[in-house]
Amino acid sequence: MTANKFMRLFIVSITICISLLGCERDASSLREPAAAGGPLLVRALTESQYRASVHSIFGEDAPIAMRFEPGLRSEGLLAVGTSEVGLSPFSLEQYNQAAIALSDFVFNPDNPNQPCLDSAADQFDQTCAQHYLSTTGLRLFRRPLSEAQLNLYLEIAKQNFSLLGDFHTGLKYGLVGLLTAPNFLLRIEQTEIVDGVEVLDAYSRAERLAFFLTNTSPDETLLTAAANGQLSHVEGRRQQVERLLASDTLTLAVEDFFTDMLRFDRFRDISKDSGIYPAFNADVLQDAQQQTLLDIVQHLLVDEGDYRQLFNLKQTHLTRALGPIYRVPVPNRKGWSEVSFPSDSAYAGIQSHASFLALHSHPGSSSPTLRGKAIREVFLCQEVPDPPADVDFTLAEETNNHAMPTAKDRLIAHNNEPSCAGCHKIMDPPGLALEQFDGVGKFRVLENNTPIDVAGNLDGQAFETVPQFAQALSNHREIPRCLAERLYRYSVGRDVTWHERAFLDYLNQVFVDVDYRLKPLMRTIALSDSFYAIDGNHSQLSDTHPKIAEAKP
Amino acid sequence: MNLSMSTKNQPLLLLAITNVLAVAMPHALNAAEPTSLAGKASAGFVVSDFKYALSENFDEMLSCPQGVSKNEFEIYAMTPEGARKPTESEDDFEKRAMQAAYAKMANGGRNLCLHPELGEKDPYFRVLDNTRELTQGINLDGRASADDFSTPDGEQGIDNQFLRLVGCSQSFQPSGTSNGFAIEMLAGSWGILLSLSGVDDWQNDDLVEVSIFANADPIQLSPARKPLHYASYNYDSDSRFQTVTKGKIKDGVLTTEPADMRFHHVTNALMLERIFVDAQIKASISDDGALSGYLAGYMPIEALYDYQFGYRHATLADGSLAPEARRVQTSNGASFVLGYTCQGVYQAMHHLADGHYDPIEKQFTSISTQMKFEAVPAFVIETDSRNTDITSTGAQ
Amino acid sequence: MKSRTRRTLLKGLFHGAVVGVGLPTLNCFLDDSGKAFADTKQRLPTRFGTWVWGCGFIPEHWIPTQTGSDFDLHGHLAPVASYKDKLSILSGFDVKLDGVPNKPHITGCLGLRTGVPVPDENVKKPTLDVEIARIIGNDTRFGSIELSTSGINRSYSFRAAGAPNPSETSPLAFYQRVFGEGFQDPNNTNFVPNPTFMAQQSVLSAIKDQRADLVKTVGAEDRHRLDEYFTAIRELEQKLTLQLQPPAPVENFVKPQQPEPYTVDATMSEVIKTHKVMADLLAVALQSNQTRIFNVLLSDTASNLRKPGTTATHHTLTHEEPVDPALGYQPQVAWFAEQSMLAWKDFLDSLSSIKEGDGTLLDNCLVFAHSDCSIAKSHAVEGIPMMLAGSGGGKFKTGLHIAGKGDAASRVGLTLQQGLGVPIDRWGSLSMDTNRPLTELMA
Repeated sequence: MTANKFMRLFIVSITICISLLGCERDASSLREPAAAGGPLLVRALTESQYRASVHSIFGEDAPIAMRFEPGLRSEGLLAVGTSEVGLSPFSLEQYNQAAIALSDFVFNPDNPNQPCLDSAADQFDQTCAQHYLSTTGLRLFRRPLSEAQLNLYLEIAKQNFSLLGDFHTGLKYGLVGLLTAPNFLLRIEQTEIVDGVEVLDAYSRAERLAFFLTNTSPDETLLTAAANGQLSHVEGRRQQVERLLASDTLTLAVEDFFTDMLRFDRFRDISKDSGIYPAFNADVLQDAQQQTLLDIVQHLLVDEGDYRQLFNLKQTHLTRALGPIYRVPVPNRKGWSEVSFPSDSAYAGIQSHASFLALHSHPGSSSPTLRGKAIREVFLCQEVPDPPADVDFTLAEETNNHAMPTAKDRLIAHNNEPSCAGCHKIMDPPGLALEQFDGVGKFRVLENNTPIDVAGNLDGQAFETVPQFAQALSNHREIPRCLAERLYRYSVGRDVTWHERAFLDYLNQVFVDVDYRLKPLMRTIALSDSFYAIDGNHSQLSDTHPKIAEAKP
Repeated sequence: MNLSMSTKNQPLLLLAITNVLAVAMPHALNAAEPTSLAGKASAGFVVSDFKYALSENFDEMLSCPQGVSKNEFEIYAMTPEGARKPTESEDDFEKRAMQAAYAKMANGGRNLCLHPELGEKDPYFRVLDNTRELTQGINLDGRASADDFSTPDGEQGIDNQFLRLVGCSQSFQPSGTSNGFAIEMLAGSWGILLSLSGVDDWQNDDLVEVSIFANADPIQLSPARKPLHYASYNYDSDSRFQTVTKGKIKDGVLTTEPADMRFHHVTNALMLERIFVDAQIKASISDDGALSGYLAGYMPIEALYDYQFGYRHATLADGSLAPEARRVQTSNGASFVLGYTCQGVYQAMHHLADGHYDPIEKQFTSISTQMKFEAVPAFVIETDSRNTDITSTGAQ
Repeated sequence: MKSRTRRTLLKGLFHGAVVGVGLPTLNCFLDDSGKAFADTKQRLPTRFGTWVWGCGFIPEHWIPTQTGSDFDLHGHLAPVASYKDKLSILSGFDVKLDGVPNKPHITGCLGLRTGVPVPDENVKKPTLDVEIARIIGNDTRFGSIELSTSGINRSYSFRAAGAPNPSETSPLAFYQRVFGEGFQDPNNTNFVPNPTFMAQQSVLSAIKDQRADLVKTVGAEDRHRLDEYFTAIRELEQKLTLQLQPPAPVENFVKPQQPEPYTVDATMSEVIKTHKVMADLLAVALQSNQTRIFNVLLSDTASNLRKPGTTATHHTLTHEEPVDPALGYQPQVAWFAEQSMLAWKDFLDSLSSIKEGDGTLLDNCLVFAHSDCSIAKSHAVEGIPMMLAGSGGGKFKTGLHIAGKGDAASRVGLTLQQGLGVPIDRWGSLSMDTNRPLTELMA
């Protein structure tokens, strides 16, 4: 271990001690294990990151004239998929089109904020062009342009000034270039050598931090901190982390994480039979996702609540459009109303929301299997294998089967197939526990005029009713572990490496110590060495410099 | 004409709040479906269909042996000077007859639809005056008189002079267009809310409280345009559109004590009011919380003429009197399309009135009218400071 | 036509700023009097596309009883009987799994498209449409066009694992992308190159120059992903190059009407409508050289098609509907299978409705239609139904029923690629590895 490393550990210990005085519940006295790190990444911007970046740099009115291709989900997260997904010709065509529309907007002569407003049209104003391209480039590329890069974009502007005879039009194409460049559309991480060790460079640190805590590009303060070397030491990082955690943008980051984890991108393809589910209209589709996100933000950020209670919450937010699904009064005529369900209501927790129940159902019926699988995969991070290919599902899904009126009856019969029984034992109890909700989440107690029996056992916890299931899920020991580990994967944009197991154990313990509150967990990740660490398997520098961690076994 | 009866209805504002809180949440352990009324003390409803109760056995030859009412165009065309000339093309004839008809209605600047009392006697207006007709509804006065109707089941004494008024007008016949005004309701222009509270037994209860409100919110619909169940609606904050009365439930059928009611109505984007005096409800309550039945009462004839035929006092959305041209256009156009003259219907109305005798003028001032309605479960919510930020076309 | 290349023409036009590419059907093919397509027969481009429907078929209603050229199109194929001379039916070809777990509806579909069965969507090779596009699809505005007509944004055209070519799901969005901004009427005689295309091209050209510096900073796997980016940049550049040239005149071209915006619905009747609208647009896009490669997904392989008001989708029905003992199959599933073939007829109608040279657009296409499984109830990948339509401009024989008798389905993929000029002598892995094309299909 280098002296530098000792020093860093020392500083970490000091700051933890200081913070313990102020806010005990916010920190753990545990010490982070030596950081193992992972590979240097090239990550594609997600749709939400692209949108947020454009809006934070060019204003909320800036047009985003493109269609995004569906993301790739890996390890349960699109965020992890961003380091694996390819950029299709379709996407690039769309990004290029959006770049042109956005640049037209910025350089619209009617725009009072048009860059280089005072420059003459018929002369190339080198100073202003250089200034504009370097400052905008800094924001878009999330690091300063090298001299060669700057010259490249200046050259575009000049060339098109000559071609088209107008300075602003020429400069506009410089911006089109910045917006189409791989440096903007891809987060290409870079390293630097500090004391002979190859580490993530300051701008890549700023980038990781910004996207994790704000879901957008680094703001000017963070870029300045990177430029000043603040992000190379823990106190400088702490300052930035605290600033971002206190900012409104934290909400956007938390919403993006849960949108990803809850697979809301799949709402794009959802379709429900309007004859069977008349209340499920386009407003419900929108509001159902927002309902869950509002509850999450309220409980985890505003109320600083225990994550596990999300599965047992009696309070929710509803619009008038959602009212007919939950069949409760919604007081406010416009916008959201806070609603509390009675203690014996089946509605408790986000797994009882339309956003979960409708997403994991068929177009015309509920599905205990899809729901059980989703409970396992989304909330417990457990993988359920695909069904064997040659299974006869006839009994399981026949909803008008009179001999077996409820889904439970049918699944029990189906599970006599030995090749199915194993997985269904895992999926069925949580899935069947939610059978008192129809395919869009409306409460019911009968299927084919027969009472629906939701009783079951979730990994050792017996339950008789839907609220008891909510309690069992909330108590499940994998619930907090799954969140902590998923959040870490989300933050680093990749699966964890073998050497990071110790860090995950540490993170899980921290989550316990901070009473399962989200913000302290995010703080721990953002301040950890692991979050910034890279292993040695990468890049042009690794041949000439020692690696900071051993290669994977 | 005294139309100020609504002021006597001071609604119990607490009622709505009670309703909101008293709606029992579904019980997870109970094998009864969550939509069941069992165990609940109150329930709200939104009217999902609303139309005039018309003849159950209409037959043009038998019901209207003297034919149907005529509009000014048809009347003009029957005169010697109005008949189509052999040299005249169809188009030219129509143009000429229309001009003449409109000129007659314009009446030298005092349009007959806005001033129906100025019109000469319309000899072509036909009313449904036979005794064979059967219709459904409520016996409003408790008597079975000669001009009352019977139901197909043989129940007598159904008061529905409105049916006699319009029964031989083309557009009110079963295939006609005048009974389709619920389209405006489904478009969100107006609506009706009901709520029942103080219910101990949904099959038999001697005393329940019944509230009837104009809906302040547009009705919520499925993609197939069917009203959704269990949507939330605010009732109109104007007390003139709020009625509270008593009722009882016998064998699952609710009947209410007479009370005055007032609803919004919209025709051709003109704001109108539909008024019932001494109105009653008789409706069966289904176990899953729906209502189906009749709302009947007396419509003061001047008010009835205004909202159904003449639009004399129609207002715009902001409450101001609509421009005369709009009112004339709408009423004259309606009389053409629907097949009557304004003065004809106005005269018949006075002739057929059967309610609220005015001893000074020595005449009845209102017409018994039966509405058939359906209502589905809804949450009825009081408008308070939290949620007054929107105005629907139905609200003031 | 040998000495006057497009390249010299362009260099003259734009001072060498534009790099020319091979451009077969452009106006240098006009004969001396200026009449388009004096000798069109060989010059009309060959197009290739795939047409996929989900959840297989009912064999007894589909497989012709005879093989060779004298076969019958009966049952669910009866609607396409009028296309018998332009169709080939390929029955009884298997995807050989060699122990690879069969991911229902995925393994079969991607197995026959890549020659390498995979237990998930992580393809080991590009799908064959991508390989063929490299040979015949290079010089059009769009490298390929993907369509999904049941509202689901899925695609079985993969450039690599994690890199599918996403589908258009909205007819309106599809129309706007192809016939909206940037579309040039091929028969517009007053062509004036738009200088903004040159400006855009200069941007892409500058970006391309950064490649060398960038790839140095990333690892091998990410280098591959960066290369994908730069390949896409090159494709965009090519597209702009085309925009700067007078488009090749197209006989009988009529620009289609913009479709109405509407919500795409997965009910069968709606999907048939959406599919027809998109097929008609695609046909004109092919006719006017906007692309030469297409992939159409009628219904996802785990088909989300349904009838209104029913609880089940086509896919769930394949599992839940009892087999009718008298019929020997699932009657509701059969209905969807039949409807899918009616849609196939619509597709052939769309391609045939456009006259090209002495024949129709269909003659100059090779359409490879297939499903993901044979009998969906058991997800069988043996005997997945496949068809070919069109002769690819005379490169393939048509009007045959070939029974595979359990041969590897990769023989079909090999045949398609070799026939269209992909330089390979074998294709597929393990039991799917084959060097035996279906020679009876090759012209």
